[in-house]
Amino acid sequence: MAPPADFSKKTYLVIDDFSDMRSVMRSILHSLGVTRIDQARDGNEAIGLMERRHYDVVLCDYNLGSGKDGQQVLEEARHRALIGVDTIFIMVTAENTREMVMGAVEFAPDNYLAKPFTKELIKTRLAKLFERKSDLAEVNRALVAKDYGGAIAALDTLIAGKPRNLAELLRLKADTCITANRYDDAMAIYDEVLEGRDLNWAHLGKGRVLFQQKQYVAAQEVFERLLELDPNFIPGYDWLARAQFAQKAFPAAEKTLQKGAKLSPRSVERQQRLGELALSNDDREVAESAFDRAVAFAKHSVHNHPSIYAGLAKAKSANDKHVEALKVIGEIDKTFGDDPEAAFYKASTTAVVKRRKGDAQGAAEAFAAAGEAMNALGELASPQLALEMVKTCSELGEPEKATGYLRTAIANNHDDHAFLAEVMHVCEESGIAEEADAAIRAIQQDVVRTNNQGVRLIKQGEFGAAIELLRQAADEMPANKTINLNAAKACIIKMERNGTSPEEIQLVRRYIERVQHVAPGDWRLNDVQTRLQRLATET
Amino acid sequence: MDFSDILASSIHDIKNSLGLIFNSLDDLVDDPANQLADPRKASLIKHEVQRANNNLVQLLTLYKLGNAQLAVRIAAHNLEEFCEEVVAECQAVCTALGLDLDYDCDPELTGYFDWELVRGVLTSSIGNAQRYAHARIRLSAAEEQGMLVIRVEDDGAGFPAAVIDLLPDDGQPDWSSESETAPGTSRTRLGLYFAHQVARLHHTPEAFGRIGLSNAHHLPGGCFELWLP
Repeated sequence: MAPPADFSKKTYLVIDDFSDMRSVMRSILHSLGVTRIDQARDGNEAIGLMERRHYDVVLCDYNLGSGKDGQQVLEEARHRALIGVDTIFIMVTAENTREMVMGAVEFAPDNYLAKPFTKELIKTRLAKLFERKSDLAEVNRALVAKDYGGAIAALDTLIAGKPRNLAELLRLKADTCITANRYDDAMAIYDEVLEGRDLNWAHLGKGRVLFQQKQYVAAQEVFERLLELDPNFIPGYDWLARAQFAQKAFPAAEKTLQKGAKLSPRSVERQQRLGELALSNDDREVAESAFDRAVAFAKHSVHNHPSIYAGLAKAKSANDKHVEALKVIGEIDKTFGDDPEAAFYKASTTAVVKRRKGDAQGAAEAFAAAGEAMNALGELASPQLALEMVKTCSELGEPEKATGYLRTAIANNHDDHAFLAEVMHVCEESGIAEEADAAIRAIQQDVVRTNNQGVRLIKQGEFGAAIELLRQAADEMPANKTINLNAAKACIIKMERNGTSPEEIQLVRRYIERVQHVAPGDWRLNDVQTRLQRLATET
Repeated sequence: MDFSDILASSIHDIKNSLGLIFNSLDDLVDDPANQLADPRKASLIKHEVQRANNNLVQLLTLYKLGNAQLAVRIAAHNLEEFCEEVVAECQAVCTALGLDLDYDCDPELTGYFDWELVRGVLTSSIGNAQRYAHARIRLSAAEEQGMLVIRVEDDGAGFPAAVIDLLPDDGQPDWSSESETAPGTSRTRLGLYFAHQVARLHHTPEAFGRIGLSNAHHLPGGCFELWLP
């Protein structure tokens, strides 16, 4: 038996669009001794409350009427860090929403509560969840600090005690190992689990590791087998499509995503990827309907982005609906205001649509505006924008104009293989595949050489030279994670040996900020941050 | 939208109404100032509402299974925690009926199953036992013959032969058969069919899940068994 949990000290938020259900939930919680309950009738109200107060428990109905659904509330709350890992988020589902919720790619609630439920059920569930959360407190703290080594160590301690939720802990440990780039450790866990039982998450994990290790054929086999075992396991489709994409099997990847999107349509990301693929495969109708859905579901999502509208506009214009396309572009302003990325997408898409419509002058003007918007975004522009620019340039018959942007994008992401695969795909379509391939190779060699030389200089103790070299490279490639991290490391090692200087601490902070901007979850960040903090407190 | 979709969505609505009735009855039972009904009677009404609700959930689940829309989430679970939850859920009604409900399970026992689906099977099986038990219902879980077996037993008169015959010892039960019209079997049929389907959704390369019915296992009355690989 779990130790009796104290329900009364915690704060609760109940989200349901149905006032009867809210009062049922409230009276159940009252009967368990709960006094601090807030209520929200829709997603926006709930987000507003979470902005102001911390909740220990959020009970959220999946179906919230016309606005955000429960999954979107969860995504926004986690994405904006309105609730921490210490908050228990329970998704209340009806049996007809069970599958929709399970299609979620990124964020899963702590528990599902199927309607109808009794007060006794809520009581035992909550008691169990409170117990779990307190066991995982240390792991969660480490995860929030991105101290993956610490999280894995804490998990190992828990696992050694052979607790009841062993499988859950192993799963979390394997996930953490993947995030920390410890692929062999993750693989060992999945293999061990799979020896006992065909569990879908372990198959998926195994495929993910193989994918990260660029063994795309093997990864694809694992995902295919997974979907044979469990055709309703939605993340399997997303990953299979990725493995197919990496092997340039574009029509197959599209088919796979179509299946996933049919089973679980309410994912903005899935619909958008399907739309992009369908557009490049010239399946115009599939593209339009996928983007239609993406735009509709994105409306209430924290992941709403101008690129989704841009995709819909291009799909419509591919189907010769240019007027509708321009109307969709008009929505970008209304939705995103004067966001600089929005300005870029608006201009680049307008250029494409007007060109197809035969309005050469309008296209040229918009194209110029796109270039300006791109330059205005400066050094930290997302690499996706450069890709979009390549597409736009080639659509306007001037693919060579894109090479500058392309070089920047490649230099900033020389070791991001998924991104480089996308670059190649776009360039093949634009007829500049050879140039792109050559550029990728040349830039990669260049970056790797600089990087290795910097690392060698550090080892030889020639910090001044190392810092000079890496600093220059980092300024040329401000969004390159590896270079910026190594530049930061060079400064840190020097300061650890020879004492600190405020200028260098400032410099390291800038490198870290750059990496945080382009890759907030990078597994190498924690080490650099911890060491910087130690140095900063010494002075 | 064809007729079965309309049926499914109506069932869904009815189920939600029943859910509200159920929870309002809960309030009524808990309210000391309640003058309307004595708590025991209200508990018994709750029991019937819950049964009806379980039936509807089973229907909807089977409908989705028929459309290949049912996603099964099999994961490792601790059986004691599971039994604890099932017993907690059924306790109030048992108390009102004057029945003693408990569970017996090794605290270390782990099994692989879909928590919600199996919970549905067991609450409905306990709901059935509540009708026939004399004074006791026992839920138990154990590992036997390399499988997980969960039993619901009562100390009533046991299943009539006609019900036990619904499940032949070997091979597939014949759900379409119209021959046995013994009293009491029709009501149990949906529950058994649902349990059978849920059991079959649990499988490994070596074995499929199955259900069994017998009498006088440990307690003198009926014994429902769910075997999971």
